[in-house]
Amino acid sequence: QKSITGTVTDAVSQEPLLGATIVVENTTNGTTTDFDGKFTLNNVPDTAAIVVSYVGYKSTTIPIGLATNYPIALEPDVESLEDIVVIGYGRESRRNITGAISKVDSESIERLEPQNAAQALQGTASGINVTQQGGSPGSESNIRIRGIATNLDASPLIILDGFEYRGGLNSINPQDIESITVLKDAQAAIYGSTGSNGVILITTKSGKRNQETEFNYQTYVGVQQTSRKIPLLNATEYALLLNESYTNAGQVSPIDNFSGLGKGTDWQNEVFDTAPIMNHNLSIRGGSENISYSISGSLLDQEGIVGSEKSEFSRKTASLSLDASITEIFSINTKLFYAASKNKSLNDFGLGSVLFNALNMAPTIGPEVDNLTNEIDLGNEVVNPLTQIRNTFNDSKTNRLSGTFQSKLEYAKNLDLQGRIGFNTALTQNRDFFPVFDYGTGKVFNRLEDNLVSLGKINDNDYTFDLFNTYQNNFNDRHNLTLMLGMTVFQTKGEGLFGSATGVPSNLYTFADLSLATGSGDNRNANSYAYDVRRLSYFGRVQYSLDNRYLFSAMLRRDASTRFGPNNRVGYFPSVTAGWIVSDENFFPENNFIDFIKIRASYGIIGNDRIGDFRYLSLLTGEATYPSGVDGSLINGVAIGPLSNPNIKWEEAKKLDVGVDFRLFKNKLNFVFDYYLNDTKDLLVSNIPISGIFGTYAPGGSGPTINAGSVRNQGIEIEFSYNDNLSENLKINAGFNLSTIQNTVTEINGTDFIEGGQFGVGQPAPSRMEVGKPIGYFYGYQTNGIFQNIAEVNAHPSQILLGAEAQPGDIRYVDANGDGVIDSNDRVNIGDPIPDFTFGINLGFSYKNFDFNTYAFASVGNDIVRNYERAQDNVNKLNYRLDRWTGEGTSNSVPRVTTAPSANNIFSDFFVEDGSFLRIQTVSLGYNFQENIISKIKLKKLRVYAKVDNLYTFTEYSGFDPTASTGAPIGAGIDFGFYPIPRIYSFGVNAQF
Amino acid sequence: SDDFVDVTPPYSINSETFFNSEEDFQNALIGSYDVLQATYVNVIMGEIASDNVNAGGESPTDVIGWQQVDRMIHTPVNSNIRDLWNFNFAGLQRAAFIIENKDNIEFEGKDQIIGEVLFLRAYFNFELVKWFGPIPIKPDGKFELGEEVTTPRSPVEEVYAYIESDLIQAIENLAINSVEIGRVNQMAARALLGKVYLYQEKFDLAADQLNTVINSGNYHLYGTQGDENYADLFEFIAENGPESVFEIQYTGVEGAGFGCLQCSEGNVMVGFSGVRGYTGPVYESGFGFCLPRQEAYDAYTSNDLRRDVSILDIEDWAAETNATYNIGNQDPVTGHTGYYNRKYIPRNNDNQPDPNLTQPNNYRAIRYADVLLMAAESLNRGNINDNLARTYVNQVRNRAGLSDVQDSGSQLLDIIYNERRLELMGEGHRFFDLVRTGRAQQFIDGFTAPKNNLFPIPEEEIQFSQGNWTQNPGY
Repeated sequence: QKSITGTVTDAVSQEPLLGATIVVENTTNGTTTDFDGKFTLNNVPDTAAIVVSYVGYKSTTIPIGLATNYPIALEPDVESLEDIVVIGYGRESRRNITGAISKVDSESIERLEPQNAAQALQGTASGINVTQQGGSPGSESNIRIRGIATNLDASPLIILDGFEYRGGLNSINPQDIESITVLKDAQAAIYGSTGSNGVILITTKSGKRNQETEFNYQTYVGVQQTSRKIPLLNATEYALLLNESYTNAGQVSPIDNFSGLGKGTDWQNEVFDTAPIMNHNLSIRGGSENISYSISGSLLDQEGIVGSEKSEFSRKTASLSLDASITEIFSINTKLFYAASKNKSLNDFGLGSVLFNALNMAPTIGPEVDNLTNEIDLGNEVVNPLTQIRNTFNDSKTNRLSGTFQSKLEYAKNLDLQGRIGFNTALTQNRDFFPVFDYGTGKVFNRLEDNLVSLGKINDNDYTFDLFNTYQNNFNDRHNLTLMLGMTVFQTKGEGLFGSATGVPSNLYTFADLSLATGSGDNRNANSYAYDVRRLSYFGRVQYSLDNRYLFSAMLRRDASTRFGPNNRVGYFPSVTAGWIVSDENFFPENNFIDFIKIRASYGIIGNDRIGDFRYLSLLTGEATYPSGVDGSLINGVAIGPLSNPNIKWEEAKKLDVGVDFRLFKNKLNFVFDYYLNDTKDLLVSNIPISGIFGTYAPGGSGPTINAGSVRNQGIEIEFSYNDNLSENLKINAGFNLSTIQNTVTEINGTDFIEGGQFGVGQPAPSRMEVGKPIGYFYGYQTNGIFQNIAEVNAHPSQILLGAEAQPGDIRYVDANGDGVIDSNDRVNIGDPIPDFTFGINLGFSYKNFDFNTYAFASVGNDIVRNYERAQDNVNKLNYRLDRWTGEGTSNSVPRVTTAPSANNIFSDFFVEDGSFLRIQTVSLGYNFQENIISKIKLKKLRVYAKVDNLYTFTEYSGFDPTASTGAPIGAGIDFGFYPIPRIYSFGVNAQF
Repeated sequence: SDDFVDVTPPYSINSETFFNSEEDFQNALIGSYDVLQATYVNVIMGEIASDNVNAGGESPTDVIGWQQVDRMIHTPVNSNIRDLWNFNFAGLQRAAFIIENKDNIEFEGKDQIIGEVLFLRAYFNFELVKWFGPIPIKPDGKFELGEEVTTPRSPVEEVYAYIESDLIQAIENLAINSVEIGRVNQMAARALLGKVYLYQEKFDLAADQLNTVINSGNYHLYGTQGDENYADLFEFIAENGPESVFEIQYTGVEGAGFGCLQCSEGNVMVGFSGVRGYTGPVYESGFGFCLPRQEAYDAYTSNDLRRDVSILDIEDWAAETNATYNIGNQDPVTGHTGYYNRKYIPRNNDNQPDPNLTQPNNYRAIRYADVLLMAAESLNRGNINDNLARTYVNQVRNRAGLSDVQDSGSQLLDIIYNERRLELMGEGHRFFDLVRTGRAQQFIDGFTAPKNNLFPIPEEEIQFSQGNWTQNPGY
């Protein structure tokens, strides 16, 4: 036996590691490293081996030989079992986690280099569905965890370094992120009434103690282009079909002369541009014995593929992180985040958007025609999209400062007290200018008399104060106990101020300010609002493990919220989780290819409070305006706003999860399986349909918010990951995840169904929430081919109640209820926007200095409604219309073209398409320069890469983008001419020095 | 402690603690007037339901609910009929909110406010009973949640008794003249009460009220005095003029959108009735609904001044002024006729976007000409005084450039009915005149009596009431 000494360092940074554990194998003889990474271990047998481990690093076993000094370098291991996972008011090693979590680390983010942090979750983790709200720069993403169980805001709670972050993921610099952890099950109960949509915990990078200052610079530049154009009719085809449609109705053909029409104007080519994108990021991190720090700054500048600089997004961020041990037992930690974003936007959604106009404009009209007065009548909504872009003037700026101050006092053995204040303060400013412009007679965009400037200023503030005490102890080396008790105070308040005026001098944006505008009286308006919402929470958690293999935790949170009335102001949210590490059992065979098996389960109740404020009170917020008979000026009064519901309470989600984790083949293969069953009851439905006698259809009125239903989501999730060094030069990592969702509405009170969404103009709502069906399913007519001749028409019940008697060539609708009449009662379930399953694949290789990465994700079984064709006689059409019915036997799928009355445009399965897709999201190829070369120019690391985002999408869907999503639970999956997500070719450099 | 979360919302007014000052009452009254603007839907749909016009629009399926009403094939599933129910009940509920708090405080001038509120409540109730027949009523205040399954549809007689009682009280409370132009006065309440009596064929009572209005001397037919020109009656210049007994105020100074048509401060009917794609003098373009039929145009004699005031012949006008326009719906039953409802199509004006929804044309809800004709009808049908009836009819005819009639008895009644149609063309009264006089099936294609005497209760309402309300017969 002898004494040995050594130093434990990080194999990559060569920094000493403080607190690494060194144990003689199969004994309890061990020690830990000091601040310099040094250790001394006595009584080491000559033939023994020592096991060196450190959180976040791969453990290593070293045989003891003759030497007495051992320099030990540990490889960082982000995926290791000892990896620390934040779970809300605490941490847990990944090994002992008993809830269902997904985690995306900084390595994945580096490989993806996303413009938006939400994209880092897209396809990389199971159970998380991320869809961008549009391809226009700066669009936020919709994140849905394990399906949709609410028809309020279904987005998860975002916790940034411990505090509730309200800026949206798009205002966080992705390169500042150390890890993203997603709590998918009842473990989120520690967040009580705010956690039922799941919780995303983001940890940002900080400096490390005793780390030499490290500079990281990352940049990329790229070009963006549309990933798809929709095939439309050219001018000649358009004229042909147009004339045919008039002839079919016995009317005069509008176009006499086809010569010279040619292909005409390709409006999509006219509006789509190739647009630049650029990003810079600089960070400086380091630390001394007692202090570590990190500062970073970034700049993102992105123009739109439609309208270029008219749809520009820029984001500047700065962050500061400071971590200091003041004394042995007292430490403080500060993080500050500043983000300034600037956005110009075009009308990019729905009827009247630029792309909608590009699809519907007649190709016979030249791009220079700004006023459509003497052109063919395209209805009042369709205008020249180029003119529209030119006349769009707006600017939106948000300045946001968020941060947290935390302190930790280890006031006694095994006890620590943490206090922290997190805050968000944001100032949003909008400026819109609508110039005088005549787009042509009757166009809805016209401003013929007077221009208008409108300004808005919104100030949002909130703070979260947490105080919690943790007790942790180990008894008899068998019982590990952690107790945590705490409270949270949350308050958000803010106000908005708006003003508008007409009479901007010279009709110019440069003069678009209230100070210059001349409008007065009714031509000058001002408005404002204010809010104050609070929440008070108490919570506790017990974590207990026996023999480090029987794991148990229980938690309870009590919330009181201003959102709910005195009758239901307080709610309790309990949950329990348990786990069993089977592979640590004595009976478990050794030397098995199985390294690790954990079986775990969780059950608990979580809430959702995302309703409007003060719905339990009847407030006089309705619109009450009537003109004076004397001079026509507006007189304002008061009226009841939304109807109140004094008994309103939160939604309760009962979440069950059963899962198993495997690690196989020396931890090379990692496998996670989960089954989940989430029952959300007391679903809050705002503006619930009620009888008109209550006056809710008055201006500014709406139905009450009531706890009206229940929704069940269930499914399985599978995650595989594989990491291996196939040879010294060739490393591989691969991942696959798959999630299924089965969504069913199980109960609705007070009404038979709830409607939502929009299709066409003036048509009934296409989406419904109804018992036994998926939430937001499409409710419309079923079609059965095309009437080929008059005999077929006569043999079928009359379709007059759909708007017109059918003629040969029209769509045949199914008499679904078999009552011999075709009417609105024949509408049925014709699809739903919820995918049957989604999956993601990622694959990375590195060979010598080269690395290659690719990510793909897919959605299968979701339906999309094609809703970007304006049902107007003269607008351009998609080229599938060339295959129209023109006589018996010519088509059984595309109806005739006609300007005569027909029911062909009502909402039916003719407009519902399979939206399944597989998207190759990212392909990148990088080269890492040899250290010995770059060290000559003082660089530690230098990587250059080329990358393509949104490379290709395999889909049958005919619209711009199958990821089209509006985000509303009822009314999702309806494509209004969704702004496609651009394809981006970029080149980047990452340097460390 | 939990006191932290016990806060009142900043800068807002709670309905439980309202009605503490005269100003509160005035403000709530504005809220009740506001919903009058949503009754544009009563007017345009009433016209479409009649034999005066085609539904029109962009195509034969544009605003499908109106197209179905035009063809008389409407069913309980019809969002436009539902708008009618919802909007009128919304106005009713806002008036009832004031009524249920009317005893909170006393102040000078409260009678006038309560009088106006009672009138408004009666106005909305009368519209509802005309369209739907029996309706739920609650004279002492607002409907509260749950009452849709307990409050029955009251028989028409009870609804009318309730309307009469509101109007009689209103007459007691209201000053003879409006406190401000555009506000309800005692004569408006009398005119409406007269109309309500006439609908119930209480001719004596009707004639009393209507004669009081006529004898007040406060009104005359526009174009018969001073430098007035009859052709201006439906122009901005004659708004709130000497012929206006009750007029709904609209303005174009505030923008509006399709998401909430009832929120517009403009007259939505006017934009919807405008000529599609119109470019030219005098008028603005619109959506091409509510198109007078050839037969309606031909109902006027060529020397009747009312024809060209009521109906715009677009082909003649275009030829005369080089105006251009588009044709939308070309269906023979519901489509283009070449005529537009000239009384309520948009005139050139400075209104805010969407200009189709913010036309400032006031709706002359009760015109003096209507009062004269209702009085004449009451006097004749009640066998009260044919001479006086004839005098009233001839006043209306003379203003239109027509000579006196000498008839009496049923000939006179036929003339009165015809004059009502010609005088009130495009103003939304024709359908109800035909129904209440039992002539609807004779004149309206597709009309089946008694089914179509009433419109169906919206299917949704039948569901909300959980069987408490049964559907009107035939639907």
